[in-house]
Amino acid sequence: MLEFAEWLQATPFSVAIQSTLWLTPLLQTIHITMIGIVFVSMLNVALRVLGLIRADEPLADVWRRFAPWFWSALCVMATTGLVLSISEPIRQVTALSFWLKMSLLAVGIVSALSFGRAIRAAAAAANPVSSGKARIVAVATVLLWVAIMFLGRWIAYDVEIWESWHLA
Amino acid sequence: MDLTPLVEAAQNSALSEWMRTSLKAVAIINAFHVLSLVTVFGTIFLVDLRLLGYPNVQRSFGRMHHELLRFTWGAFGIAAVTGVLLFMVNAVTYHRNTAFWLKMVTIVLAGINMFVFERVTAKSVASWDKGVLPPPAARLAGALSIVLWVAVIVFGRWIGFTKGYDFSIPENVQFDFSLPTQ
Repeated sequence: MLEFAEWLQATPFSVAIQSTLWLTPLLQTIHITMIGIVFVSMLNVALRVLGLIRADEPLADVWRRFAPWFWSALCVMATTGLVLSISEPIRQVTALSFWLKMSLLAVGIVSALSFGRAIRAAAAAANPVSSGKARIVAVATVLLWVAIMFLGRWIAYDVEIWESWHLA
Repeated sequence: MDLTPLVEAAQNSALSEWMRTSLKAVAIINAFHVLSLVTVFGTIFLVDLRLLGYPNVQRSFGRMHHELLRFTWGAFGIAAVTGVLLFMVNAVTYHRNTAFWLKMVTIVLAGINMFVFERVTAKSVASWDKGVLPPPAARLAGALSIVLWVAVIVFGRWIGFTKGYDFSIPENVQFDFSLPTQ
């Protein structure tokens, strides 16, 4: 894996990104604004489950309102994230934060997909999701995405945060 | 106005020294800064889109605005506190940095835009709360707000990326990026 990262970091494409000073901050800025959209889209749905906002709207409608933004922004983030990783693959590969983030991201995506499916099923069957369980899942989901964000920021601080667990 | 004594005091304070020497403090404060700023931006973006009449004008603006505002202000508070802490770590360098001042000015402009909207434009909200496109002043406020807050993020990232150094970059500074291998 490290050998692959070293090879990747020396490729013309990677070097071109590294050498264009304004490109990485631009990609990071897009990544950050997209986090705003992904996180707040998810947050709106979670807050609706908790009954704190949009209580006058059915949960399914709230989901329909925010799901397209959530998924579209996530796709943009996958693209910017990929290019950013290609520009510094060694840093990514040796960062425990990066691997933890990707694992939690996979969990987050699967949970969002299954939530979407459950919402559609519930609307069709007119069966409300169990209130207590749904609230716990909502809070857990918010915490999951917060963790993803923290880990993303900590890629640049991987040694300080994880000390001997840093992968270099 | 010479801010040098103030920023030097901030940078030399015990709190600042603790943050610099602590292994994890800056990383954790930074993470909270990111969390709070994306919440500020995301919630404001949502309200701004509604002001622009996007995706539709079906839901009450007043209700949406009221429901989300507490999250915006709460997040802004955390962003401001963590921002001050981050500034203190390297206050002398940052206070001379162009991107830093651009960011501060832009935040003030965004605040003025918001203030004008709340005090003037929002007075007529009863007539455009739902079902109709908000008036030009409201739409302008929404559009300006989006542009200004994206600019804040751009400047903020530029400060972080360059660690606050405009032009004369010292030799021994560890940057957020790796320089090309050749």
